[in-house]
Amino acid sequence: MSHSEKAAVFNKNEAKVNWHDKALWYVREKRDNAAHGVKGWEYLRELASGIKANVLSNLDDYLIEFEANALANGIKVHWASSAEEHNQIVSKILEDKKAKKVVKSKSMLTEECHLNPYLENKGIEVVDTDLGEYIVQIAKESPSHIVLPAIHKTKEEVDELFQEHLGTTPSNGNPEYLTNEARKHLRKKFLQADAAITGVNFAIAETGGIVVCTNEGNADMGSHSAPVHIACMGIEKIIPKEEHLGIFLRLLARSATGQPITTYSSHFNKPTEGREMHIVIVDNGRTEQLSREDFRASLHCIRCGACMNTCPIYRRSGGHSYDATIPGPIGSILSPGKDLTKHSSLPFASTLCGSCSNVCPVKINIHEQLYSWRQIITKDVKQPLVKKTILKIAGVVLSNRTLYNIGGKSARFMLKYAPRFMVYSKLNAWGKARELPEVKNQNFDDWYKEKRKNNG
Amino acid sequence: MKVGLFIPCYINQLYPQVAIATLELLEKLNVDVYYPSTQTCCGQPLGNSGYEEDSKGACQLFVENFKEYDFIVGPSGSCIYHIKKHFDILEQTPEVVKVRENAYELCEFIVKILGKTEVGASFPYKVGLHKSCHGLRGLNLGSCSERMEPHYSTEEDLLNNVKGLELVKLNREDECCGFGGTFSVFEEAVSVKMGKDKIKDHLDSGVEVITGADHSCLMHLEGLINRDNKPLRVMHIAEILNKTL
Amino acid sequence: MGREAILKSIKQNKPALLPLHEINLEAFSEEVNLLDTFKSNVELVGGTIQELKKNENLTTEINKRYPKAKKIVGNSQTSDIGTIPISKETEPHQLENIDLAIIKGEFGVAENGAIWISEQDFPIRVLPFITNDLVIVLEKENLCLHLHDAYKKIAGRERSFGLFISGPSKTADIEQCLVIGAQGAMSLTVVLI
Repeated sequence: MSHSEKAAVFNKNEAKVNWHDKALWYVREKRDNAAHGVKGWEYLRELASGIKANVLSNLDDYLIEFEANALANGIKVHWASSAEEHNQIVSKILEDKKAKKVVKSKSMLTEECHLNPYLENKGIEVVDTDLGEYIVQIAKESPSHIVLPAIHKTKEEVDELFQEHLGTTPSNGNPEYLTNEARKHLRKKFLQADAAITGVNFAIAETGGIVVCTNEGNADMGSHSAPVHIACMGIEKIIPKEEHLGIFLRLLARSATGQPITTYSSHFNKPTEGREMHIVIVDNGRTEQLSREDFRASLHCIRCGACMNTCPIYRRSGGHSYDATIPGPIGSILSPGKDLTKHSSLPFASTLCGSCSNVCPVKINIHEQLYSWRQIITKDVKQPLVKKTILKIAGVVLSNRTLYNIGGKSARFMLKYAPRFMVYSKLNAWGKARELPEVKNQNFDDWYKEKRKNNG
Repeated sequence: MKVGLFIPCYINQLYPQVAIATLELLEKLNVDVYYPSTQTCCGQPLGNSGYEEDSKGACQLFVENFKEYDFIVGPSGSCIYHIKKHFDILEQTPEVVKVRENAYELCEFIVKILGKTEVGASFPYKVGLHKSCHGLRGLNLGSCSERMEPHYSTEEDLLNNVKGLELVKLNREDECCGFGGTFSVFEEAVSVKMGKDKIKDHLDSGVEVITGADHSCLMHLEGLINRDNKPLRVMHIAEILNKTL
Repeated sequence: MGREAILKSIKQNKPALLPLHEINLEAFSEEVNLLDTFKSNVELVGGTIQELKKNENLTTEINKRYPKAKKIVGNSQTSDIGTIPISKETEPHQLENIDLAIIKGEFGVAENGAIWISEQDFPIRVLPFITNDLVIVLEKENLCLHLHDAYKKIAGRERSFGLFISGPSKTADIEQCLVIGAQGAMSLTVVLI
């Protein structure tokens, strides 16, 4: 199903749409308040964007520098070209350690690689420990938002899920109670785990260290409790110097949730004595995106989710309508690079309003990239015949004044004189909920000829 | 100063009163206005739908029609934005560059080029301003709620000087209305929902008349208002600025 | 394998080198009262501030604040309140039922209420997360304005593990309702001395 079809289904329940819209708008407002509190916010965004652009232009050298420093610190470094290779590497590390129980904190990369089903097929238990991800995991769903994975679920729905999976007592969706029950359950999982997998927010070339940010403390609970820590990162997570963290950490949480900083910003430089730390560096289509001049800036993304919270379409269609690991505006410019045909409806799921580009802490020109993807998709992906024909004809008519006159007149004639049942037929998506404009007796051309003499 | 009046295709055909108001307003402000009679469209509907290549003929015709004018002024932010932003698909001849540089949305032309914010209008109603996205975030007609910058608004500067007019503050001052060109039909459900939410914001804020500098957004909102018989009127900002009630 | 393929692909696909710009820190300088800003931001992120007056004793005040805490991890740098001795050899799961940990904070960041703590301040990495409640003892003088200053302060450190900690663990994953106490510590008290 295309985005518009899924969005139409989501819109059948207007109360839920209103609720979803309001919940995310609230986050957008918190973001605004937080950003207003920072002197030089727009300059910070410029700096961040500039650093990311520099990173992409020198990415191979930075990765080599990062690897050398990480190795010197006793961290094991692995490289994976594809999702498949990534999963094999992680699986091999676990196998070597005879690890059967894994706790995982939030990592959009492992979602992208479908690591969980891969490991589960090998008989390994993987528990997602971010509360939102835990909720979608037991619901057997995918995250609908990259920062708020379970934002599509009401507290009552979570209550029912927990009754079924954790044996909790009905609480009418009491968030404190439910969170505390999950805490108790997950604490056991942390302490029993043979290995912990985390994502990476930033990898610093200069030091070979990584930074992982959470509010819940789950990445730290896992990585410090288990004997093995595996951190998985896309190649674009590199930043050149540690001092650059000052810029990115000031932007990240404020953009994501409106907090001044996440509760925990953990800097891992060396493994705990006697324990192992691995970093898996993954390409999986990123170098291909790097080759696309118009789209490479999409690799600036620091996964804050601000573009989702501000997007009027995301808020009213839900994350699952995008049918992609990363939904929303940023997902709509990343996903077509991975599978153009599958994701061809996504760049059209936008009014090109530009709000996403304005909130983006690393200044990705998201709405301009959506426009550019559209130009590619109409050429490379088979288009609905009606749409294509109408627009092709429009191109001819609009470049020829005589045809335009005839076209304009006949369209106005039709609008004015066709019977209502014909105008508001099933073919007319406009007229389902909207009236068409009332047609006046004259168009402006006619009026002008009549009233003004000084034709230009 | 010779000004070429650009009337977007849909305004020409469906909203001649907006074009008339634009012309009369400019004439009132002593602008030497010409209306090139062979104009059609800026090509935006094609570009936004992914058929930029097919719009080249329309874009080229646009340049032919307007290349001789010092300024090109039109009552539609999104069309002007398209000319400025997306005429990069044409070969950048001096004429194309000139047309792109000198295309102005009506309000911006009045405030920036003519240096006027008072146009002698009166309109005793509670008005809600719809800041269309392409005018706001594309042409920078005003400050955007996402950006940390001092507040300004070209349209507000003009409306605040209209006698009797009360400009109403909205809850979400610059959220998109959901028109988006062909988006309005290909993403019908979300488009309609966005429009309904926008109208609700105006109604909740006590607005009597919605106005804006982009009539395509207003056409979408008007369609919803008329279907649902909501107690709201829709008028292009040129119509208000041209009124002496 | 992956490494060479990835590096080769990057080399082929990357744009021409773009410069790394200098950061003009002047753009971020502000005349604010560091202590007041820090205190209000700690409270904003869900933490509690306790300013120790001259005649007050740290141990007494912590006992007053956490009267029920039995299993307490402290260290000599902060107070003699500890009841559970720990060392580098302690296994994480032995700390499962710790009620309270007291850790020395190195410095605080006014703009976000965060405090830098590092492995030098706690022998086991999991301690500040696994403890039920956390107390960080911080000298009032050790405050900086923003993260740019903070990174200057830690630039010369021995890098193993360290973190900025800002408030107690929290989540809003159930319907955007903020709940204090997720997987990490349930509360954070910052004692200013």
